[in-house]
Amino acid sequence: MLINPAIIALVSGSLLSCMVLIYASTIGIRILRGWDITSGSEQQLVFERKTYLISTVLGAVMAYEVFSLLLFVYTADHIHGLFVGAMCAAGTLNVNDYGYPTLNLKILNAVVCGIWIIVNHTDNRGFDYPLIRPKYKFLLAITAMVLLESFLQWQYLKGLNPNVITSCCGTLFSEEAETIAGEMAHLPSYSTKVLFYSSLLLTLRVGIHFTITGRAARIFSYLSFWFFLVSIISTIAFVSVYFYELPTHHCPFCLLQREYGYIGYPLYLSLFGAAILGGGVGVIERFNYKESLREIIPGIQKGLCLTAMIGFLIFAVISTYPILFSDFILEGY
Amino acid sequence: MIELLNVTKTYNAGKQSEFTALKGIDLAFDANRVIVLKGPSGSGKTSLLSIVGCMARPTSGRVRIDGRELTSLPERFLSEVRRSSFGFVFQSYHLIKGMTVLENVMIPAYPIGVKRRLLKERAMALLEKLQIASKAVQDVQTLSGGEQQRVAIARALINSPAFIIADEPTAHLDTDLARELMAILADLHAEGRTILIASHDSLVFESEIVDQVVELRDGRVVGHC
Repeated sequence: MLINPAIIALVSGSLLSCMVLIYASTIGIRILRGWDITSGSEQQLVFERKTYLISTVLGAVMAYEVFSLLLFVYTADHIHGLFVGAMCAAGTLNVNDYGYPTLNLKILNAVVCGIWIIVNHTDNRGFDYPLIRPKYKFLLAITAMVLLESFLQWQYLKGLNPNVITSCCGTLFSEEAETIAGEMAHLPSYSTKVLFYSSLLLTLRVGIHFTITGRAARIFSYLSFWFFLVSIISTIAFVSVYFYELPTHHCPFCLLQREYGYIGYPLYLSLFGAAILGGGVGVIERFNYKESLREIIPGIQKGLCLTAMIGFLIFAVISTYPILFSDFILEGY
Repeated sequence: MIELLNVTKTYNAGKQSEFTALKGIDLAFDANRVIVLKGPSGSGKTSLLSIVGCMARPTSGRVRIDGRELTSLPERFLSEVRRSSFGFVFQSYHLIKGMTVLENVMIPAYPIGVKRRLLKERAMALLEKLQIASKAVQDVQTLSGGEQQRVAIARALINSPAFIIADEPTAHLDTDLARELMAILADLHAEGRTILIASHDSLVFESEIVDQVVELRDGRVVGHC
Protein backbone atom coordinates (compact mmCIF):
# COMPACT_ATOMS: atom_id res chain seq x y z
CA MET A 1 0.00 0.00 0.00
CA LEU A 2 1.19 3.49 -0.78
CA ILE A 3 1.83 5.68 2.22
CA ASN A 4 0.34 9.05 1.57
CA PRO A 5 -1.33 11.51 4.01
CA ALA A 6 -4.63 11.37 2.14
CA ILE A 7 -4.56 7.55 2.03
CA ILE A 8 -3.83 7.41 5.76
CA ALA A 9 -6.74 9.83 6.33
CA LEU A 10 -9.05 7.66 4.23
CA VAL A 11 -8.08 4.43 5.99
CA SER A 12 -8.23 5.88 9.51
CA GLY A 13 -11.46 7.72 8.72
CA SER A 14 -13.14 4.57 7.46
CA LEU A 15 -11.87 2.59 10.46
CA LEU A 16 -13.29 5.17 12.88
CA SER A 17 -16.58 5.32 10.97
CA CYS A 18 -16.90 1.54 11.05
CA MET A 19 -16.18 1.39 14.78
CA VAL A 20 -18.76 4.07 15.59
CA LEU A 21 -21.33 2.57 13.22
CA ILE A 22 -20.90 -0.94 14.65
CA TYR A 23 -21.26 0.41 18.19
CA ALA A 24 -24.28 2.52 17.19
CA SER A 25 -25.84 -0.46 15.42
CA THR A 26 -25.57 -2.65 18.51
CA ILE A 27 -27.36 0.09 20.48
CA GLY A 28 -29.79 0.41 17.54
CA ILE A 29 -30.64 -3.29 17.67
CA ARG A 30 -31.31 -3.04 21.41
CA ILE A 31 -33.47 0.04 20.81
CA LEU A 32 -35.39 -1.67 18.01
CA ARG A 33 -36.08 -4.62 20.29
CA GLY A 34 -36.80 -2.84 23.55
CA TRP A 35 -38.09 0.66 22.74
CA ASP A 36 -41.39 1.46 24.46
CA ILE A 37 -42.10 5.16 24.87
CA THR A 38 -45.04 4.42 27.20
CA SER A 39 -42.78 2.63 29.66
CA GLY A 40 -40.94 4.41 32.46
CA SER A 41 -38.53 1.51 32.94
CA GLU A 42 -34.87 2.14 33.63
CA GLN A 43 -33.96 0.54 30.29
CA GLN A 44 -36.32 2.82 28.36
CA LEU A 45 -34.92 5.93 30.05
CA VAL A 46 -31.38 4.76 29.28
CA PHE A 47 -32.40 4.33 25.61
CA GLU A 48 -33.87 7.84 25.54
CA ARG A 49 -30.63 9.30 26.87
CA LYS A 50 -28.43 7.17 24.60
CA THR A 51 -30.27 7.81 21.38
CA TYR A 52 -29.65 11.53 21.70
CA LEU A 53 -25.90 11.00 22.07
CA ILE A 54 -25.77 8.30 19.39
CA SER A 55 -27.71 10.46 16.91
CA THR A 56 -25.34 13.38 17.47
CA VAL A 57 -22.22 11.25 16.99
CA LEU A 58 -23.75 9.51 13.97
CA GLY A 59 -24.55 12.87 12.41
CA ALA A 60 -20.79 13.57 12.38
CA VAL A 61 -19.98 10.10 11.00
CA MET A 62 -22.55 10.45 8.22
CA ALA A 63 -21.20 13.91 7.36
CA TYR A 64 -17.72 12.35 7.17
CA GLU A 65 -19.06 9.67 4.82
CA VAL A 66 -20.29 12.40 2.46
CA PHE A 67 -16.97 14.25 2.78
CA SER A 68 -14.95 11.05 2.27
CA LEU A 69 -16.29 10.77 -1.27
CA LEU A 70 -14.56 14.05 -2.08
CA LEU A 71 -11.42 12.96 -0.24
CA PHE A 72 -11.37 9.68 -2.13
CA VAL A 73 -11.67 11.34 -5.53
CA TYR A 74 -9.15 14.02 -4.53
CA THR A 75 -6.70 11.30 -3.40
CA ALA A 76 -7.14 9.34 -6.62
CA ASP A 77 -6.49 12.50 -8.60
CA HIS A 78 -3.58 13.61 -6.39
CA ILE A 79 -1.59 10.37 -6.74
CA HIS A 80 -2.17 9.79 -10.45
CA GLY A 81 1.42 10.80 -11.21
CA LEU A 82 2.64 7.63 -9.50
CA PHE A 83 1.07 5.35 -12.09
CA VAL A 84 2.27 4.98 -15.62
CA GLY A 85 -0.52 5.86 -18.01
CA ALA A 86 -2.74 7.66 -15.50
CA MET A 87 -3.55 11.30 -16.33
CA CYS A 88 -6.08 11.89 -13.58
CA ALA A 89 -8.26 10.05 -11.04
CA ALA A 90 -9.80 7.97 -13.85
CA GLY A 91 -6.50 6.18 -14.43
CA THR A 92 -5.71 5.79 -10.73
CA LEU A 93 -9.11 4.19 -10.10
CA ASN A 94 -8.38 1.74 -12.92
CA VAL A 95 -5.14 0.49 -11.34
CA ASN A 96 -6.96 -2.50 -9.85
CA ASP A 97 -10.44 -4.06 -9.88
CA TYR A 98 -11.57 -2.34 -6.68
CA GLY A 99 -11.25 1.32 -7.72
CA TYR A 100 -14.51 1.91 -9.57
CA PRO A 101 -16.66 -0.38 -7.35
CA THR A 102 -15.37 1.61 -4.36
CA LEU A 103 -16.18 4.90 -6.06
CA ASN A 104 -19.67 3.74 -7.05
CA LEU A 105 -20.43 2.50 -3.55
CA LYS A 106 -19.03 5.72 -2.07
CA ILE A 107 -21.38 7.75 -4.25
CA LEU A 108 -24.35 5.62 -3.16
CA ASN A 109 -23.29 5.79 0.50
CA ALA A 110 -22.82 9.57 0.34
CA VAL A 111 -26.41 9.89 -0.87
CA VAL A 112 -27.92 7.51 1.72
CA CYS A 113 -25.84 9.00 4.55
CA GLY A 114 -26.97 12.48 3.52
CA ILE A 115 -30.58 11.29 3.58
CA TRP A 116 -30.03 9.73 7.01
CA ILE A 117 -28.85 13.13 8.27
CA ILE A 118 -32.12 14.64 6.97
CA VAL A 119 -34.20 11.90 8.63
CA ASN A 120 -32.28 12.37 11.87
CA HIS A 121 -32.76 16.14 11.75
CA THR A 122 -36.50 15.59 11.25
CA ASP A 123 -36.65 13.09 14.10
CA ASN A 124 -34.90 15.52 16.44
CA ARG A 125 -37.60 18.10 15.77
CA GLY A 126 -40.33 15.79 17.14
CA PHE A 127 -40.79 15.67 20.90
CA ASP A 128 -41.60 11.94 21.06
CA TYR A 129 -38.78 10.37 18.98
CA PRO A 130 -41.21 9.78 16.10
CA LEU A 131 -38.71 8.25 13.67
CA ILE A 132 -36.67 6.23 16.12
CA ARG A 133 -37.46 2.86 14.53
CA PRO A 134 -37.10 3.78 10.82
CA LYS A 135 -33.96 5.74 11.69
CA TYR A 136 -32.24 2.78 13.34
CA LYS A 137 -33.42 0.29 10.70
CA PHE A 138 -31.95 2.63 8.11
CA LEU A 139 -28.77 2.80 10.19
CA LEU A 140 -28.36 -0.98 10.15
CA ALA A 141 -28.52 -0.96 6.35
CA ILE A 142 -26.05 1.94 6.16
CA THR A 143 -23.65 0.16 8.52
CA ALA A 144 -23.58 -2.87 6.23
CA MET A 145 -22.99 -0.63 3.21
CA VAL A 146 -20.21 1.37 4.90
CA LEU A 147 -18.51 -1.85 6.06
CA LEU A 148 -18.57 -3.13 2.48
CA GLU A 149 -17.31 0.23 1.23
CA SER A 150 -14.45 0.17 3.76
CA PHE A 151 -13.53 -3.35 2.71
CA LEU A 152 -13.51 -2.41 -0.98
CA GLN A 153 -11.58 0.78 -0.25
CA TRP A 154 -9.00 -1.16 1.77
CA GLN A 155 -8.62 -3.72 -1.00
CA TYR A 156 -8.22 -0.91 -3.52
CA LEU A 157 -5.69 1.08 -1.52
CA LYS A 158 -3.79 -2.07 -0.51
CA GLY A 159 -3.57 -3.11 -4.14
CA LEU A 160 -2.22 0.18 -5.48
CA ASN A 161 0.91 -0.97 -7.25
CA PRO A 162 3.05 1.69 -8.97
CA ASN A 163 4.41 -0.96 -11.33
CA VAL A 164 1.00 -1.41 -12.93
CA ILE A 165 0.51 0.34 -16.23
CA THR A 166 -2.99 1.74 -16.23
CA SER A 167 -5.23 3.36 -18.82
CA CYS A 168 -5.64 7.08 -19.18
CA CYS A 169 -9.01 8.80 -19.11
CA GLY A 170 -8.78 9.36 -22.84
CA THR A 171 -9.11 5.59 -23.28
CA LEU A 172 -11.60 4.93 -20.48
CA PHE A 173 -14.00 7.68 -21.56
CA SER A 174 -13.44 7.49 -25.29
CA GLU A 175 -16.34 7.07 -27.66
CA GLU A 176 -14.78 3.81 -28.86
CA ALA A 177 -14.65 2.21 -25.41
CA GLU A 178 -17.13 -0.66 -25.07
CA THR A 179 -18.14 0.31 -21.55
CA ILE A 180 -20.99 2.26 -19.98
CA ALA A 181 -18.65 5.28 -19.78
CA GLY A 182 -17.88 4.84 -23.46
CA GLU A 183 -21.59 4.64 -24.26
CA MET A 184 -22.17 7.88 -22.36
CA ALA A 185 -19.29 9.59 -24.14
CA HIS A 186 -20.76 8.42 -27.43
CA LEU A 187 -24.19 10.01 -26.82
CA PRO A 188 -25.12 12.71 -29.34
CA SER A 189 -24.50 16.07 -27.71
CA TYR A 190 -27.54 17.89 -29.09
CA SER A 191 -30.08 15.27 -27.90
CA THR A 192 -28.34 15.01 -24.54
CA LYS A 193 -28.51 18.78 -24.17
CA VAL A 194 -32.26 18.68 -24.87
CA LEU A 195 -32.66 15.91 -22.30
CA PHE A 196 -30.52 17.81 -19.77
CA TYR A 197 -32.27 21.18 -20.03
CA SER A 198 -35.79 19.72 -20.27
CA SER A 199 -35.09 17.58 -17.17
CA LEU A 200 -33.79 20.67 -15.38
CA LEU A 201 -36.87 22.69 -16.28
CA LEU A 202 -39.20 19.88 -15.27
CA THR A 203 -37.44 19.39 -11.93
CA LEU A 204 -37.53 23.13 -11.20
CA ARG A 205 -41.16 23.38 -12.30
CA VAL A 206 -42.21 20.59 -9.94
CA GLY A 207 -40.02 22.07 -7.20
CA ILE A 208 -41.73 25.45 -7.53
CA HIS A 209 -45.12 23.72 -7.55
CA PHE A 210 -44.20 21.88 -4.36
CA THR A 211 -42.90 25.04 -2.68
CA ILE A 212 -46.14 26.87 -3.41
CA THR A 213 -48.72 24.12 -2.89
CA GLY A 214 -46.94 21.58 -0.70
CA ARG A 215 -47.95 18.85 -3.16
CA ALA A 216 -45.87 16.50 -5.37
CA ALA A 217 -43.04 16.03 -2.87
CA ARG A 218 -42.32 12.51 -4.03
CA ILE A 219 -42.40 13.48 -7.69
CA PHE A 220 -39.83 16.21 -6.96
CA SER A 221 -37.76 13.62 -5.16
CA TYR A 222 -37.84 11.17 -8.07
CA LEU A 223 -37.07 13.98 -10.49
CA SER A 224 -34.11 15.04 -8.35
CA PHE A 225 -32.59 11.59 -8.71
CA TRP A 226 -33.49 11.52 -12.39
CA PHE A 227 -31.81 14.89 -12.95
CA PHE A 228 -28.80 13.68 -10.96
CA LEU A 229 -28.36 10.74 -13.35
CA VAL A 230 -28.98 12.89 -16.41
CA SER A 231 -26.41 15.39 -15.12
CA ILE A 232 -23.75 12.72 -14.66
CA ILE A 233 -24.44 11.45 -18.19
CA SER A 234 -24.45 15.02 -19.53
CA THR A 235 -21.15 15.81 -17.81
CA ILE A 236 -19.54 12.93 -19.69
CA ALA A 237 -21.43 13.49 -22.92
CA PHE A 238 -20.97 17.23 -23.41
CA VAL A 239 -20.31 19.41 -20.32
CA SER A 240 -16.75 18.18 -19.83
CA VAL A 241 -16.03 18.58 -23.54
CA TYR A 242 -16.84 22.29 -23.39
CA PHE A 243 -14.51 22.80 -20.45
CA TYR A 244 -11.65 20.95 -22.18
CA GLU A 245 -12.48 22.51 -25.56
CA LEU A 246 -11.54 19.15 -27.01
CA PRO A 247 -14.34 17.16 -28.69
CA THR A 248 -12.79 13.76 -27.95
CA HIS A 249 -12.10 14.31 -24.24
CA HIS A 250 -15.05 13.28 -22.05
CA CYS A 251 -13.36 12.59 -18.69
CA PRO A 252 -15.43 13.68 -15.66
CA PHE A 253 -12.34 13.59 -13.42
CA CYS A 254 -10.01 16.03 -15.20
CA LEU A 255 -12.46 18.76 -14.21
CA LEU A 256 -11.08 18.38 -10.69
CA GLN A 257 -7.62 19.47 -11.79
CA ARG A 258 -5.93 22.84 -11.50
CA GLU A 259 -5.81 23.32 -15.28
CA TYR A 260 -9.57 23.68 -15.23
CA GLY A 261 -9.72 25.84 -12.11
CA TYR A 262 -10.87 22.90 -9.94
CA ILE A 263 -14.30 23.55 -11.46
CA GLY A 264 -15.30 19.93 -10.83
CA TYR A 265 -15.52 20.52 -7.08
CA PRO A 266 -18.27 23.19 -7.13
CA LEU A 267 -19.88 21.36 -10.05
CA TYR A 268 -20.16 18.01 -8.29
CA LEU A 269 -20.73 19.47 -4.82
CA SER A 270 -23.76 21.39 -6.02
CA LEU A 271 -25.10 18.35 -7.90
CA PHE A 272 -24.58 15.83 -5.09
CA GLY A 273 -25.85 18.24 -2.44
CA ALA A 274 -28.97 19.01 -4.46
CA ALA A 275 -29.65 15.32 -5.17
CA ILE A 276 -29.38 14.45 -1.47
CA LEU A 277 -31.64 17.34 -0.42
CA GLY A 278 -34.12 16.63 -3.22
CA GLY A 279 -34.21 12.96 -2.24
CA GLY A 280 -34.76 13.96 1.38
CA VAL A 281 -37.94 15.85 0.42
CA GLY A 282 -39.61 12.61 -0.68
CA VAL A 283 -38.15 10.43 2.05
CA ILE A 284 -39.50 12.53 4.93
CA GLU A 285 -42.84 12.84 3.14
CA ARG A 286 -43.32 9.20 4.14
CA PHE A 287 -43.42 10.27 7.80
CA ASN A 288 -46.02 12.99 7.42
CA TYR A 289 -48.58 10.81 9.21
CA LYS A 290 -46.69 11.13 12.52
CA GLU A 291 -48.67 13.41 14.77
CA SER A 292 -45.70 15.25 16.26
CA LEU A 293 -44.17 15.90 12.80
CA ARG A 294 -47.27 16.91 10.87
CA GLU A 295 -46.63 20.63 11.28
CA ILE A 296 -42.83 20.38 11.18
CA ILE A 297 -42.25 18.33 8.01
CA PRO A 298 -43.68 20.83 5.47
CA GLY A 299 -41.29 23.55 6.72
CA ILE A 300 -38.28 21.23 6.53
CA GLN A 301 -39.32 20.03 3.07
CA LYS A 302 -39.66 23.55 1.71
CA GLY A 303 -36.18 24.42 2.95
CA LEU A 304 -34.75 21.25 1.40
CA CYS A 305 -36.61 21.79 -1.88
CA LEU A 306 -35.49 25.40 -2.25
CA THR A 307 -31.87 24.53 -1.46
CA ALA A 308 -31.99 21.57 -3.86
CA MET A 309 -33.32 23.80 -6.64
CA ILE A 310 -30.54 26.33 -5.96
CA GLY A 311 -28.00 23.47 -6.12
CA PHE A 312 -29.36 22.22 -9.44
CA LEU A 313 -29.33 25.76 -10.80
CA ILE A 314 -25.72 26.28 -9.73
CA PHE A 315 -24.81 23.03 -11.48
CA ALA A 316 -26.68 24.11 -14.60
CA VAL A 317 -25.11 27.59 -14.59
CA ILE A 318 -21.58 26.19 -14.23
CA SER A 319 -22.30 23.63 -16.97
CA THR A 320 -23.82 26.20 -19.30
CA TYR A 321 -21.19 28.91 -18.85
CA PRO A 322 -18.58 27.44 -21.28
CA ILE A 323 -21.32 26.54 -23.77
CA LEU A 324 -22.34 30.19 -23.97
CA PHE A 325 -19.06 32.02 -23.46
CA SER A 326 -16.27 29.86 -24.93
CA ASP A 327 -15.28 29.94 -28.59
CA PHE A 328 -15.61 26.20 -28.77
CA ILE A 329 -18.44 24.83 -30.91
CA LEU A 330 -19.31 21.19 -30.41
CA GLU A 331 -22.21 20.61 -32.76
CA GLY A 332 -21.27 19.93 -36.35
CA TYR A 333 -18.09 18.18 -35.26
CA MET B 1 -51.53 18.82 37.97
CA ILE B 2 -48.20 17.16 38.72
CA GLU B 3 -48.08 13.35 38.69
CA LEU B 4 -45.11 11.19 39.61
CA LEU B 5 -45.38 7.55 38.64
CA ASN B 6 -43.02 5.08 40.31
CA VAL B 7 -40.11 7.53 40.22
CA THR B 8 -36.70 6.21 41.19
CA LYS B 9 -33.44 8.14 41.18
CA THR B 10 -30.09 6.42 41.59
CA TYR B 11 -26.81 8.32 41.57
CA ASN B 12 -23.52 6.71 40.49
CA ALA B 13 -25.28 3.57 39.32
CA GLY B 14 -23.01 0.54 39.15
CA LYS B 15 -20.27 2.21 41.16
CA GLN B 16 -19.22 1.60 44.73
CA SER B 17 -20.76 4.93 45.69
CA GLU B 18 -24.19 4.02 44.20
CA PHE B 19 -26.95 5.75 46.10
CA THR B 20 -30.68 5.57 45.53
CA ALA B 21 -32.20 8.90 46.57
CA LEU B 22 -35.78 8.13 45.52
CA LYS B 23 -37.42 4.73 45.66
CA GLY B 24 -40.60 4.25 43.69
CA ILE B 25 -42.33 7.55 44.44
CA ASP B 26 -45.99 7.79 43.41
CA LEU B 27 -47.46 11.22 44.07
CA ALA B 28 -49.98 13.63 42.57
CA PHE B 29 -50.25 17.36 43.30
CA ASP B 30 -53.20 19.45 42.21
CA ALA B 31 -52.60 22.75 40.48
CA ASN B 32 -52.74 26.07 42.36
CA ARG B 33 -51.65 24.53 45.65
CA VAL B 34 -48.79 25.16 48.03
CA ILE B 35 -47.05 21.86 48.61
CA VAL B 36 -44.19 21.25 51.01
CA LEU B 37 -41.84 18.31 50.86
CA LYS B 38 -40.42 17.82 54.32
CA GLY B 39 -37.88 15.44 55.70
CA PRO B 40 -34.33 15.29 57.03
CA SER B 41 -31.22 15.82 54.95
CA GLY B 42 -30.77 12.95 52.48
CA SER B 43 -34.46 12.09 52.45
CA GLY B 44 -34.73 12.87 48.71
CA LYS B 45 -36.46 16.28 48.79
CA THR B 46 -34.03 18.06 46.49
CA SER B 47 -33.84 15.09 44.09
CA LEU B 48 -37.61 15.06 43.84
CA LEU B 49 -37.76 18.82 43.24
CA SER B 50 -35.06 18.55 40.57
CA ILE B 51 -37.00 15.83 38.76
CA VAL B 52 -40.32 17.68 38.94
CA GLY B 53 -38.60 20.86 37.73
CA CYS B 54 -37.01 19.01 34.76
CA MET B 55 -33.50 19.74 36.03
CA ALA B 56 -32.77 16.03 36.40
CA ARG B 57 -34.18 12.89 34.85
CA PRO B 58 -35.34 9.95 36.95
CA THR B 59 -33.54 6.61 36.67
CA SER B 60 -36.97 5.06 36.11
CA GLY B 61 -40.55 6.23 36.31
CA ARG B 62 -42.43 9.05 34.64
CA VAL B 63 -43.45 12.61 35.49
CA ARG B 64 -46.50 14.25 33.96
CA ILE B 65 -47.41 17.91 34.21
CA ASP B 66 -50.99 18.72 33.25
CA GLY B 67 -51.16 15.35 31.49
CA ARG B 68 -48.01 15.91 29.41
CA GLU B 69 -45.30 13.35 29.89
CA LEU B 70 -41.98 15.12 30.50
CA THR B 71 -39.33 12.54 31.30
CA SER B 72 -39.11 11.23 27.75
CA LEU B 73 -38.69 14.66 26.18
CA PRO B 74 -35.39 15.30 24.41
CA GLU B 75 -33.31 17.98 26.12
CA ARG B 76 -34.14 20.72 23.60
CA PHE B 77 -37.85 20.34 24.41
CA LEU B 78 -37.26 19.85 28.10
CA SER B 79 -35.31 23.11 28.40
CA GLU B 80 -38.24 24.92 26.78
CA VAL B 81 -40.67 23.41 29.32
CA ARG B 82 -38.27 24.21 32.16
CA ARG B 83 -37.88 27.79 31.00
CA SER B 84 -41.55 28.53 30.43
CA SER B 85 -43.25 26.51 33.18
CA PHE B 86 -40.93 26.60 36.17
CA GLY B 87 -39.34 29.29 38.30
CA PHE B 88 -36.62 28.17 40.66
CA VAL B 89 -35.61 29.61 44.02
CA PHE B 90 -32.50 27.95 45.38
CA GLN B 91 -31.21 27.61 48.92
CA SER B 92 -28.04 29.56 48.12
CA TYR B 93 -29.85 31.85 45.65
CA HIS B 94 -27.40 31.06 42.80
CA LEU B 95 -27.27 34.69 41.66
CA ILE B 96 -24.45 35.58 39.30
CA LYS B 97 -21.87 37.72 41.05
CA GLY B 98 -20.49 40.70 39.19
CA MET B 99 -23.83 41.36 37.53
CA THR B 100 -26.46 43.80 38.67
CA VAL B 101 -29.75 42.89 40.26
CA LEU B 102 -31.61 43.83 37.07
CA GLU B 103 -29.35 41.74 34.82
CA ASN B 104 -29.71 38.72 37.12
CA VAL B 105 -33.48 38.97 36.97
CA MET B 106 -33.53 39.31 33.18
CA ILE B 107 -31.19 36.41 32.35
CA PRO B 108 -33.73 33.53 32.22
CA ALA B 109 -35.77 35.44 29.61
CA TYR B 110 -32.90 36.01 27.16
CA PRO B 111 -33.37 32.73 25.23
CA ILE B 112 -37.03 33.58 24.62
CA GLY B 113 -36.09 36.64 22.60
CA VAL B 114 -38.33 39.20 24.25
CA LYS B 115 -37.46 42.78 23.28
CA ARG B 116 -34.99 44.19 25.78
CA ARG B 117 -37.13 47.23 26.55
CA LEU B 118 -40.17 45.08 27.39
CA LEU B 119 -38.03 42.67 29.35
CA LYS B 120 -36.52 45.50 31.37
CA GLU B 121 -39.99 46.87 32.13
CA ARG B 122 -41.15 43.44 33.26
CA ALA B 123 -38.06 42.93 35.44
CA MET B 124 -38.45 46.38 37.03
CA ALA B 125 -42.14 45.69 37.74
CA LEU B 126 -41.17 42.49 39.56
CA LEU B 127 -38.47 44.27 41.54
CA GLU B 128 -41.03 46.97 42.48
CA LYS B 129 -43.47 44.30 43.59
CA LEU B 130 -40.79 42.67 45.74
CA GLN B 131 -39.75 46.09 47.05
CA ILE B 132 -36.19 45.94 45.85
CA ALA B 133 -36.32 48.16 42.76
CA SER B 134 -34.05 50.72 44.41
CA LYS B 135 -31.19 48.20 44.25
CA ALA B 136 -31.72 47.38 40.55
CA VAL B 137 -28.34 48.71 39.39
CA GLN B 138 -26.35 47.33 42.32
CA ASP B 139 -24.18 44.25 41.96
CA VAL B 140 -25.89 41.31 43.64
CA GLN B 141 -22.97 40.47 45.92
CA THR B 142 -23.49 43.77 47.75
CA LEU B 143 -26.99 42.75 48.91
CA SER B 144 -28.03 41.17 52.21
CA GLY B 145 -29.32 37.58 52.34
CA GLY B 146 -32.98 38.64 52.44
CA GLU B 147 -32.48 41.00 49.50
CA GLN B 148 -30.71 38.32 47.50
CA GLN B 149 -33.61 35.98 48.21
CA ARG B 150 -36.05 38.53 46.81
CA VAL B 151 -33.91 39.00 43.70
CA ALA B 152 -33.93 35.22 43.27
CA ILE B 153 -37.72 35.22 43.50
CA ALA B 154 -37.97 38.02 40.92
CA ARG B 155 -35.69 36.01 38.63
CA ALA B 156 -37.91 32.94 39.15
CA LEU B 157 -40.94 34.97 38.05
CA ILE B 158 -39.49 36.69 34.97
CA ASN B 159 -40.97 34.13 32.54
CA SER B 160 -44.34 34.06 34.36
CA PRO B 161 -44.12 30.36 35.23
CA ALA B 162 -47.10 28.37 36.46
CA PHE B 163 -44.94 26.51 38.97
CA ILE B 164 -42.53 27.94 41.54
CA ILE B 165 -40.01 25.49 42.94
CA ALA B 166 -38.18 26.52 46.09
CA ASP B 167 -35.47 24.40 47.66
CA GLU B 168 -34.94 25.21 51.34
CA PRO B 169 -35.78 28.89 50.72
CA THR B 170 -35.57 29.89 54.37
CA ALA B 171 -32.30 28.12 55.16
CA HIS B 172 -30.24 31.32 55.19
CA LEU B 173 -32.94 33.67 56.50
CA ASP B 174 -33.76 34.75 60.04
CA THR B 175 -37.31 34.36 61.36
CA ASP B 176 -38.57 37.78 60.23
CA LEU B 177 -37.15 37.36 56.72
CA ALA B 178 -38.51 33.83 56.55
CA ARG B 179 -42.00 35.10 57.41
CA GLU B 180 -41.61 37.83 54.80
CA LEU B 181 -40.70 35.16 52.24
CA MET B 182 -43.75 33.10 53.12
CA ALA B 183 -45.90 36.19 52.66
CA ILE B 184 -44.42 36.67 49.18
CA LEU B 185 -45.09 33.01 48.34
CA ALA B 186 -48.67 33.45 49.59
CA ASP B 187 -49.09 36.34 47.12
CA LEU B 188 -47.74 34.20 44.30
CA HIS B 189 -50.14 31.43 45.27
CA ALA B 190 -52.99 33.94 45.25
CA GLU B 191 -52.03 34.78 41.66
CA GLY B 192 -52.82 31.18 40.75
CA ARG B 193 -49.36 29.62 40.79
CA THR B 194 -48.49 26.21 42.14
CA ILE B 195 -45.74 26.43 44.77
CA LEU B 196 -43.59 23.42 45.55
CA ILE B 197 -41.22 23.84 48.48
CA ALA B 198 -38.65 21.48 49.96
CA SER B 199 -37.96 22.37 53.57
CA HIS B 200 -37.36 20.96 57.01
CA ASP B 201 -38.11 24.36 58.59
CA SER B 202 -41.28 24.13 60.72
CA LEU B 203 -41.98 27.78 59.93
CA VAL B 204 -42.52 26.66 56.34
CA PHE B 205 -44.44 23.40 56.64
CA GLU B 206 -46.59 24.68 59.52
CA SER B 207 -47.45 27.86 57.65
CA GLU B 208 -51.15 28.43 57.08
CA ILE B 209 -50.63 28.96 53.35
CA VAL B 210 -49.53 25.34 52.88
CA ASP B 211 -52.18 23.04 51.40
CA GLN B 212 -50.32 19.76 51.33
CA VAL B 213 -47.33 18.34 53.18
CA VAL B 214 -45.49 15.28 51.94
CA GLU B 215 -43.00 13.72 54.31
CA LEU B 216 -40.03 11.91 52.85
CA ARG B 217 -37.52 9.67 54.54
CA ASP B 218 -34.81 7.56 52.93
CA GLY B 219 -36.23 8.22 49.50
CA ARG B 220 -39.77 7.07 50.29
CA VAL B 221 -43.00 8.85 51.12
CA VAL B 222 -43.70 8.21 54.79
CA GLY B 223 -46.41 10.78 55.42
CA HIS B 224 -48.94 12.66 53.37
CA CYS B 225 -51.44 15.21 54.66
